[in-house]
Amino acid sequence: MDLAILYVKKFYKIIRGEVLVLPSRISVGLFFLVLIGLPLITRDPYIIRIIILTSIFAILAASWDLLSGFTGQMNFGHALFFGVGAYASALLNVHAHIPPWGSVPLGALAAVMAGLIVGIPCLRLKHTYLALTTLAFPIILLGIIFALPDWTGGELGISGLTRFTSSLLGNYYLHIITMLVLCTIMWKITDSNTGLIFHAIREDELAVKTAGINTTRYKLLAFCLSGFFAGIAGGLYAHYMRIAGPSTLEVSMSFTVVIWAIFGGAATIYGPVAAVFILFPLLEFVRFWPEYRTLIFAFIVLFTLLYMPEGLIPWVRDKIEKECPRCKIRNVSTRKTCRICTAGLD
Amino acid sequence: MKKFTFGWSVLLAACLIMIICLPVWGQTIKIGVIGPMNFVQGKGHWNGAVMAAEEINAQGGVNVGKQKMKIELVKADSNEFINVTDAANAMERLMTQDKVDFVVGGFRTEAVLAMQDIAMDYKKIFIGCGASDIELCSRVAKDYNRYKYFFRGTPFHNGYLVRTSFAHLATGGAAIKKELNVPVRVAIVAEKAAWAEPMVAAAQAVIPKMGMELAGIWRPSAVATDVTSELSAIQKSGANLIFTIFSSSVGITFARQAGELKVPALQVGINVEAQKDGFWEATKGMGNYVFTMETYIRGVEVNKLTKPFVETYFKRFKETPTYTADTYIAIKHYLVPSIEATGTLDADKIVAHLENRVFEVPSGTDKFEKDAQGQPTHDLTWGPGYQTSLGGQWQDGKIVGVWPNKWKATPTSPEVTFNGMVPIKLPPWMKK
Repeated sequence: MDLAILYVKKFYKIIRGEVLVLPSRISVGLFFLVLIGLPLITRDPYIIRIIILTSIFAILAASWDLLSGFTGQMNFGHALFFGVGAYASALLNVHAHIPPWGSVPLGALAAVMAGLIVGIPCLRLKHTYLALTTLAFPIILLGIIFALPDWTGGELGISGLTRFTSSLLGNYYLHIITMLVLCTIMWKITDSNTGLIFHAIREDELAVKTAGINTTRYKLLAFCLSGFFAGIAGGLYAHYMRIAGPSTLEVSMSFTVVIWAIFGGAATIYGPVAAVFILFPLLEFVRFWPEYRTLIFAFIVLFTLLYMPEGLIPWVRDKIEKECPRCKIRNVSTRKTCRICTAGLD
Repeated sequence: MKKFTFGWSVLLAACLIMIICLPVWGQTIKIGVIGPMNFVQGKGHWNGAVMAAEEINAQGGVNVGKQKMKIELVKADSNEFINVTDAANAMERLMTQDKVDFVVGGFRTEAVLAMQDIAMDYKKIFIGCGASDIELCSRVAKDYNRYKYFFRGTPFHNGYLVRTSFAHLATGGAAIKKELNVPVRVAIVAEKAAWAEPMVAAAQAVIPKMGMELAGIWRPSAVATDVTSELSAIQKSGANLIFTIFSSSVGITFARQAGELKVPALQVGINVEAQKDGFWEATKGMGNYVFTMETYIRGVEVNKLTKPFVETYFKRFKETPTYTADTYIAIKHYLVPSIEATGTLDADKIVAHLENRVFEVPSGTDKFEKDAQGQPTHDLTWGPGYQTSLGGQWQDGKIVGVWPNKWKATPTSPEVTFNGMVPIKLPPWMKK
């Protein structure tokens, strides 16, 4: 009992000292709470569906950020990983009768393989050349899918997949918890030594090389990690939609991911996640005006990027928080002195 | 006082009328119309449904048991050409937010498969009016209890589309043989698209069996803006019959440039662009003599229902209906008679009634098929006496019906000719 009280006290101390001190951390905490508590407010299947799909796409957008935002490996064909994950899961589920619990991780491994296949030839390329080469890969796979219709279902895709569970709430919690866990893992990766090296490769690859770090290995690792998370998203999508079709590999899918990540703020992980949670439901919300849906979407993205070139979330964060010039710790913007080193913030 | 009494009497009478009428008008049958509403296919879906609802409501509505219920349409933009997820979300919205009783529409097969699953989850009748793939109805046969709420409204499945195209090809070949007395050499020209692959393979196998020679296969891009190299090659190959398989803008390019170059060959097959009223203007008149599969042609009567439908539609929307406008049929000829016959909106009872009906619709006679094991597929029966579609040819600025004209499905079958058919014409430059 005493131990429990001790842990509660410790937890409270962490919350008070580490979370409640910064609006961004409070927002993340609230985001977790709202997602977990949403079924207490509504169990509308339509809203639940939108949140589930948003969660899946949030994983996808964050996985792009891990590769392109952090490591600077500009990937314009991210749909490849998503599509490979979706198709591999679908094939395993429909032909080998492997349940989603097995087919989704195996699909993600297939996407890791795809990451290696793309990563190796792309190691020598940079910037525009890399972007254009990566763009070609999902198109190549699309060609293979159309060439092997007996296996891949061709234009129809592979349908009749089983869902994880038939329960509305079961599906909801499975998807949002997976999203929260995977995004936290991605964020922790970027916060680790590996993440630092990713960051450094983006800023100055030559400098990293001269420091004795094998950048090739780290770039391949970034491709594989990104492929893994995007593959999970693809598998979850295929099983939730009960179909893996060519639309998962379309160019529009690759570009939508880039738009989400840039809109939210690249090289943050939480930025792309927030962007998907804003833009995807927003597109659903403007269904009342179908002719102008895409136009409204485009205006919002353009307006945001025009005035917030770093992305929406870093802009908001910079408005509500300030970085201490001495110790680099973030503080709420209303503070005059740093909460750690008491240096003046203005 | 007198004035006061009169005023109260009017108010009382109005209230009484409202009370009497409310149970009658208070409830509506909600029908979701789902399709790519920013595209011509979705506009067809919506127009057909609007026309059906207007006609039914003008007649007082639908008799559901002792109640008279009006039809209320709910428009859902599936955006399926661009985003399949959007299409599935639109269907979920129809089911849970709009709470529709029935759904009609859908176009892109991948999206319709996803939408079909959602409609089946909610046990709502979904009449597909656009996707042709056989898989949609194979699902009904494979898992009847789950998928029995799906029916094919239009078009008939892709296997039958191929058969009809070959019947058109045979008609074109026969005209060449009769008028020019030369062997028929066929060039297959199919846009680079997945849907065209099985048709190309089937055509390669079937053309020699039809007594025609295969001159070659050409595959321009679906959005090509110049096909002169293909046309020159076709001309050099000696082909006098071109079997077209086009669903995209290349249909306009190909027809226009073939007309400009006066390629001595008759174009027969599928050319979706040639099905549209604006084809003549789009090809600047060079699309003359292009033959394409059609569902409706002004002046052609498949049965007594065709002319009223086509002419009313033309008057109302200033265009000839395309096949996605068969949402009209789905509502007026599928749903309403079955609702009235069963006296309920119960989907199971309506399915049991609808799947056993044989009924006339403006495009032919509909009867739902069963597979070899006798399991209902809810697919449309094809052939003489049922659905055949039409073959239309552009002749001097307007599309006219040229098929079926004394058509025999098998040597022993009776001849089929619809009212308003005219003979097929060969381009005059073929005769030089």
